[in-house]
Amino acid sequence: MIAQGHPRSIGKHVPRREDPYLLRGEGRFLDDIAEPKDTLFLSFAMSPHAHARILAIRTDAASALPGVVAVYTAEDMARFVKPIRTVIEIQGYRASSRMVLAQDEVRFVGEHVAVVVAEDPYIAQDAAELIEVDYEPLPAAVRLEEADSESAPLVHEDIPRNVMFEAAFASPDFQAAFESAEMIVSETFRTGRVAGVPLEPRGCLALLDHVADSLLFYTSTQIPHLARTALSEILDFPEPRIRVVTPEVGGGFGTKAQFYTEEVVTAALALNLRRPIKWVQDRREELLTSIHARDHIYRLEAAIDGEGRIKALRTDLTTNAGAYSSYPFGCTLEATGGARMIVGPYDIRNYAFHTRAIATHTCPSGAYRGVAQPSCFMAIEGLMDRIGRKLGIDPATVRQRNLIRSEQLPYTNVLGVRYDTGSYEECLRRALERVDYWNFRKRQAEARDDDEVLRGIGICCFTEVAGAGSGGWRVRGLTKVPGFDSASIKVEPTGKVTLLVSQAAAGQGHLTTFAQVLADYLGVKVEDVFVSEGDTATAPYGTNTFASRGAVAAGGAVIKAAQSLRQKIARIAAFLLDVDVERVELTESKAIDKENPEKSVDFRQVAQIAYSMTSVALPQGESFGLEVVEMYDPPLATWPNAVHAVVVAVDRRTAKVSIEKYVVVHDSGRLINPMIVDGQIHGGIVQGIGEALMEQIVYDEDGQMLNANLLDYLMPMALDVPQIDISHIETPSIDALGGFKGVGEGGVIGAVPAVTNAVADALARTGANINRLPLRPSYLLREMRRRQLAVDGDRK
Amino acid sequence: MSQATSLRKTDVTLTINGKSYTRQVEPRRLLVDFIRHDVGLKATHIGCEHGVCGACTVRIDGRTARSCLHFAVAVQGAEIETLEGLSADGRLAGLQKAFHDAHGLQCGYCTPGVLLTAEEFLSENPEPSEQEIRAALSNNLCRCTGYVNIVKAIANAARDRDKTTADPAGESRK
Amino acid sequence: MKPAPFEFRAPVSLDGVLEEMREHGEAARILAGGQSLVPLMNLRMLQPSVLVSINHCKELSYIRAEEDGLVCGALARQWDVEHDQVAIQRCPLLVQALHHVGARSNRNRGTVCGSLAHADPLAELPAVALALDADMIAASSTGRRVVPAREFFVGALENSLRPDEILEAVRFPYAPTGSRSCFIELGNRNHGFAIAGVALEVTFGEDGRCRRARLAVMGGENIAKRASDTEVALAGSIIDEAAAREAGRLTASLVDVAGDFHADAAYRRELVAVLVERALIQVASGAAGRARSI
Repeated sequence: MIAQGHPRSIGKHVPRREDPYLLRGEGRFLDDIAEPKDTLFLSFAMSPHAHARILAIRTDAASALPGVVAVYTAEDMARFVKPIRTVIEIQGYRASSRMVLAQDEVRFVGEHVAVVVAEDPYIAQDAAELIEVDYEPLPAAVRLEEADSESAPLVHEDIPRNVMFEAAFASPDFQAAFESAEMIVSETFRTGRVAGVPLEPRGCLALLDHVADSLLFYTSTQIPHLARTALSEILDFPEPRIRVVTPEVGGGFGTKAQFYTEEVVTAALALNLRRPIKWVQDRREELLTSIHARDHIYRLEAAIDGEGRIKALRTDLTTNAGAYSSYPFGCTLEATGGARMIVGPYDIRNYAFHTRAIATHTCPSGAYRGVAQPSCFMAIEGLMDRIGRKLGIDPATVRQRNLIRSEQLPYTNVLGVRYDTGSYEECLRRALERVDYWNFRKRQAEARDDDEVLRGIGICCFTEVAGAGSGGWRVRGLTKVPGFDSASIKVEPTGKVTLLVSQAAAGQGHLTTFAQVLADYLGVKVEDVFVSEGDTATAPYGTNTFASRGAVAAGGAVIKAAQSLRQKIARIAAFLLDVDVERVELTESKAIDKENPEKSVDFRQVAQIAYSMTSVALPQGESFGLEVVEMYDPPLATWPNAVHAVVVAVDRRTAKVSIEKYVVVHDSGRLINPMIVDGQIHGGIVQGIGEALMEQIVYDEDGQMLNANLLDYLMPMALDVPQIDISHIETPSIDALGGFKGVGEGGVIGAVPAVTNAVADALARTGANINRLPLRPSYLLREMRRRQLAVDGDRK
Repeated sequence: MSQATSLRKTDVTLTINGKSYTRQVEPRRLLVDFIRHDVGLKATHIGCEHGVCGACTVRIDGRTARSCLHFAVAVQGAEIETLEGLSADGRLAGLQKAFHDAHGLQCGYCTPGVLLTAEEFLSENPEPSEQEIRAALSNNLCRCTGYVNIVKAIANAARDRDKTTADPAGESRK
Repeated sequence: MKPAPFEFRAPVSLDGVLEEMREHGEAARILAGGQSLVPLMNLRMLQPSVLVSINHCKELSYIRAEEDGLVCGALARQWDVEHDQVAIQRCPLLVQALHHVGARSNRNRGTVCGSLAHADPLAELPAVALALDADMIAASSTGRRVVPAREFFVGALENSLRPDEILEAVRFPYAPTGSRSCFIELGNRNHGFAIAGVALEVTFGEDGRCRRARLAVMGGENIAKRASDTEVALAGSIIDEAAAREAGRLTASLVDVAGDFHADAAYRRELVAVLVERALIQVASGAAGRARSI
């Protein structure tokens, strides 16, 4: 437990330790690492076809270019690299293998067919252009709707009908409840295809230690430990001789939580050529080959009573998996996630789903911030609004009637998932108040049909699955994702503390927040703690950084390790203070006698005994050193919840949307650093606004990506986004150590549905039905006109 | 008269942060690669290499510019300033403090470009409105912060800068 | 994303530039600010074999207030033109349009002539040049000629310069006394590439009627277009809401619009109508840029 007198660090706006060096431009990102003089650089030749047979590859011209050291094709690579196979132990999943360079067949535009190794990145790219490939173009299944049919071209011969994953569920009384309900409200929602687009593209640098015959592998990733295990397996190279280091990472958002073919190629070529190899991705490659996300179709049917209560819900979900299962999450994450999370904070007792992941000739999809949740909450929250419209009940009231009530907590949902604590009603109540909801509705009712500006309000109530432990990943069959995280604490001989955590931050401020956690739980001054992570040579094994797991899983590990180490510190201190160990309390890097607080020894004095650096001998029975490593396995999941409420104005004539007010009431349990928490929410919301209003990866019917550049892949800039009003409710988790619930993804999950509903609400009076993303002006105006034409037609 | 060069490497001399650097580079060598890899100053980042994201912003002859959109040879003889230089001579101290205090950065990748953009902006608009700040950032992409705290940091820096000029003795500063 | 190799020339005089163009014309591109050219080279969508930089040709960086208009040399940077006092007072439409061009750091380097020569369908400056009947001054080693804007812009990314010619300067006529102008555009984002845009200058008579309207619209796959029929329709009329709306409708029916993944053709057409209407309302209400006589 935390000492009474210890000044709390958790809950404080502690400024970030990461800032000073980043603000001087001294952060060392992947491409900032000074590579050795003899380093070679890679450039990949990419497929221009969505689907084609490779008939021949001619590399002579590329090889002959001065400065080119080697050119490899799939055939060459197959000699020393195994295919990447994403194994998921779940029924209904069909695994696909992927060779790191395409063999025989290409399955999406941008897929690598060959790689050039050259002395200079410019030359490498020149040579990649000289590689000649004879293709026999084949029919492609590009759009989800097209790939999902009997007659569609197959992406993999051994995956019939392109169904990579299929699952279904029905609760025992579902059918009866569905059939006996008063009415059915249904809608189809189509989400857009987007990508994480971290500002720093991916990249890696592989160096050999010739003496130790080992590989030092720098990579811009969120998953150093998982990457190391994967590298070892795919390259058949001993894991102990691989050291993976994540440098400063310029944004991840899940994009860098997958393990990629280029990482294998870079490492494999370093081992094979015995030279340092560097690969730095450019933006075009980033958009073509880093995982895409969303691209879902939800068909929802709710059986409701006359008050708008959902008596039974049915979800039919189809997701676009892309051409291959990404690693390690595969194609099942969005398909299962969307179908399972959609019940959210609602007391829905009868539920059925059918969900599928469909292979297409497009870039593989994967785990982007929020995973399935921005989409599934867009669907269920959109349905809540439609229930309200159908019954003439305000949509906020519909939600109030369906929410899980406080007295029902802890609550086990229809899928058997336990929500330990939450604040669903309170978040909604407070959000409505802060956005001035009922007054807005009054003003909205006074609006006139010829107003130039249409205003609408949108709400999203949601729960978020966060901090999942081993059980959570096993349930999904993701056996390459362990679920636990770890912390190693060393009180060094000088009394200062080294904390190593099994994480790899990409801007989340871990060096600051984990120091705060340790400070409180070990009774050490926050400035005495040095945090380090992202290096597999020093940090203990863990699941690493994604799915809002840092605070929960690694935070829990820090607490567990602190609790275990403080016992030893207290025992040695008790010996020095000559009191019973129960009287010893640790605070501010000292051990004090609770009954006589003037009497104390500091951590340095304790450490010197532990390290045998003083004339006093270590007490009998104690071991040397002050070190501990603890693994912490969080519960199945923690359940942050929140409500977003958004007011938008839509120009009736141009259909341009502007966001006038944005309110968030958020509960992610106990907050470690509220400043950092708010930052996570801000960033997530703006990504969500992008996803709702403008972002979209566009493939044409032949599978060419039309916007693999940042002029055409539109993300929000400062002028496109509002101020954001955040307030917090702190309902600590009772299932997770420390009470933390995780916060990385909530922003984007709430924003997509809330913005969508606000726009749909604004346009409701025109009769437009808004159910697909993104909400670009041309789409919105088309829907308004379509309705107008229908009305005009009726009049005639 | 023409300063003819060809495909072959040629000597390019640039003054970067007050120091002269001569390197033999190909004509196609991008300024950002010259700065980062030929000279070794790594604060200037590459985000898109087509002039959209702003991560590679530097100053050329006293004004901000995208270093990914210039060939080093084409700015032969220019005075280049990067975050390292502006940071070392203290010109960014107020902004850096404001970004630290307001949590105006997360991953830090866009930050050098944002700081250079903000510095140029504030030097000409000492009392900016929120909308003006947002407009000034209209071509600096940040994927982490949602811009909320970047805007706040710049507003705070303007306010504090204002105090410093209004009160040269600095008595009102704590 | 590294550019393909090229030969580089950096003459220090206009004569030197023209000489290089005479020799390498077909294979060469002029490098001025590079803000449109270099992205395409980095993406390897353009691979010129010779690049002739005019950046060391200081004699081309002038902004001159001549009797019949503001003349911007080939190396006049957009930011300098945007802040030139004569430009601000006598070429308000040009300055209004420049506010929309890229970011500050792009305008610091980008040149007015470079943007015109690049002839991007969604670039602001070609629309201004067309609306104002700017004179494009083309130079080659054999001489100079003045090309009217309407003849200069041939199509998307296509101008009528001969391979050995460069756009040495552009002359924007001063706004007449009693005129007001407005440049507006709208895109999927609040700043950045537009879906459609409008460059408008209206000269009002003392009776408040429109004496002369100059209007160019952009928004198609093709280069911006002058809306001459709308100008004729507006001449002599009182610009009220009804007239503005009718002018918008007429313009929309005239322009060449094309749909793409940013916006469909129907939307672009409708947007042109709204933007023309709003621009007219703005100039009629006096809210727009007014030329000041000096």
